[in-house]
Amino acid sequence: MVLLALWETLSRVGWLDPFYAPSPAAVGRVIGTLFADPDFWTHLRATFVAAFAGLLGGLLLGVLLGFAAALSPLLADLLEPVMILLNAIPRVILAPLFVIWLGIDLASKVALALILVTVLIFFAVYGGIKEVDQRLVERVRTLGGGRRVLIREVYVPSVTAWVMGNLKIAVGFAFTGAVVGEFVASSRGLGYLLQFAQSTYNAALTIALIVLIMAFVLVLFAAAERLERHLLRWRYGPG
Amino acid sequence: MLRVRGLTVGFGGEPILEDIDLEVRAGEFVSLLGPSGSGKTSILRAVTGLLHAREGSVELDVDAAHVGFLFQDDALLPWRTARQNVALGLRIRGAPVEEAERRADEWLGSLGLAGLGGRYPRQLSGGQRKRVAIAQVLALEPRLLLMDEPFAALDAIVRARLTQELLGWVEREHLTVLLVTHDLEEAIAASDVVYVLSQGPRASVKGRYEVAIERPRTLLESHRHPAFAPLMTRLWDDLSGEPVAASATLAP
Repeated sequence: MVLLALWETLSRVGWLDPFYAPSPAAVGRVIGTLFADPDFWTHLRATFVAAFAGLLGGLLLGVLLGFAAALSPLLADLLEPVMILLNAIPRVILAPLFVIWLGIDLASKVALALILVTVLIFFAVYGGIKEVDQRLVERVRTLGGGRRVLIREVYVPSVTAWVMGNLKIAVGFAFTGAVVGEFVASSRGLGYLLQFAQSTYNAALTIALIVLIMAFVLVLFAAAERLERHLLRWRYGPG
Repeated sequence: MLRVRGLTVGFGGEPILEDIDLEVRAGEFVSLLGPSGSGKTSILRAVTGLLHAREGSVELDVDAAHVGFLFQDDALLPWRTARQNVALGLRIRGAPVEEAERRADEWLGSLGLAGLGGRYPRQLSGGQRKRVAIAQVLALEPRLLLMDEPFAALDAIVRARLTQELLGWVEREHLTVLLVTHDLEEAIAASDVVYVLSQGPRASVKGRYEVAIERPRTLLESHRHPAFAPLMTRLWDDLSGEPVAASATLAP
């Protein structure tokens, strides 16, 4: 708040060049015009669709691959090196490749968001299963539980805990993937608008978009947190 | 009820246990007393099949479904309520959810946990979690109960109370028990027969002692019984003959 007031004051007295650092009021006005513009909603929807498709697909794929690798040593040998490599590199460098392969439409953005999320979730699930409390496994076995009961009572809840712990990071990753994908090449989306604002040296629009993206991600973080607290209520319930 | 013959257990290298013979007859309360690291737990694990014997045999007169195992720690499923934890074994045996949970509540009630069925393990005290773990095992109505120092982690008062309750339960239901412990007094006070194990590796049975104290008994009466002190001395001598750590492991 203090920072915003200081920024506004410095802009008003003319110490800050509005070309580079427009005042918060100016940024606010731009945000207002954006919401009034029907085109903006198309862009917003494009980014959200890409991010959500990538998030859901990435969660699903990450969980499936993580389970597969944990249950089959052969698959683990195949998947682990690929995942380690993908984890080690800045995965956004794949964006140009996806554009060439999948075109500048939705598919390349989804693909980028998906790969960012998949790698994250894969390691959460794979690591989570390997670190499942063996005492719980023995307990269920001495109660007479077989493989199916073990998966339902021990593995799935353990993995849910690990995935939920990573959900907020995954939301961030999904948006990174979608926006960066749009930034690289697209005709729609917040990343496209950002690219447009940058190429026209429109600092007010650039800042407005950054603020909006942050706001959206924070709202999603809050939603992810609520979901986490609900699913992991055994961990967060009153003590 | 249970016969162990020539049991040898180990993972490569030197065996933890070597040539163990022991017998638990129906209705008997048998303790396995030994220093820490003598592989007491491995015997129980071999009996339940969690561990494969390198040599020897384990003969059970009851179906595996009638063997209950009470572990040293109270690792309940943290994501299931007390009620769901107790109901789990019943559900695995095919009881419908509602019936299993109703019976789970009854068991929780008889263990003094009425009204706490909806709590998660994190919301219970150590003693309460232990009671849930006991309910989980007793709910399956086992005929042979294996216990691995079940109350080791509890404070002395809770421990004495729970041991007494369990003893009462065992006597009422005529359960057969094999208890693993390093607590000499507990072993004598609760058991009909005490086996003494030597220090591992290559731990083996050093002696078998019958406890001539009539049932039903309470822990307090057992301690005052004329047979208690002489047996205590003999067991103590047997354990102290061990080269390492005998005195250390006898501390509670």
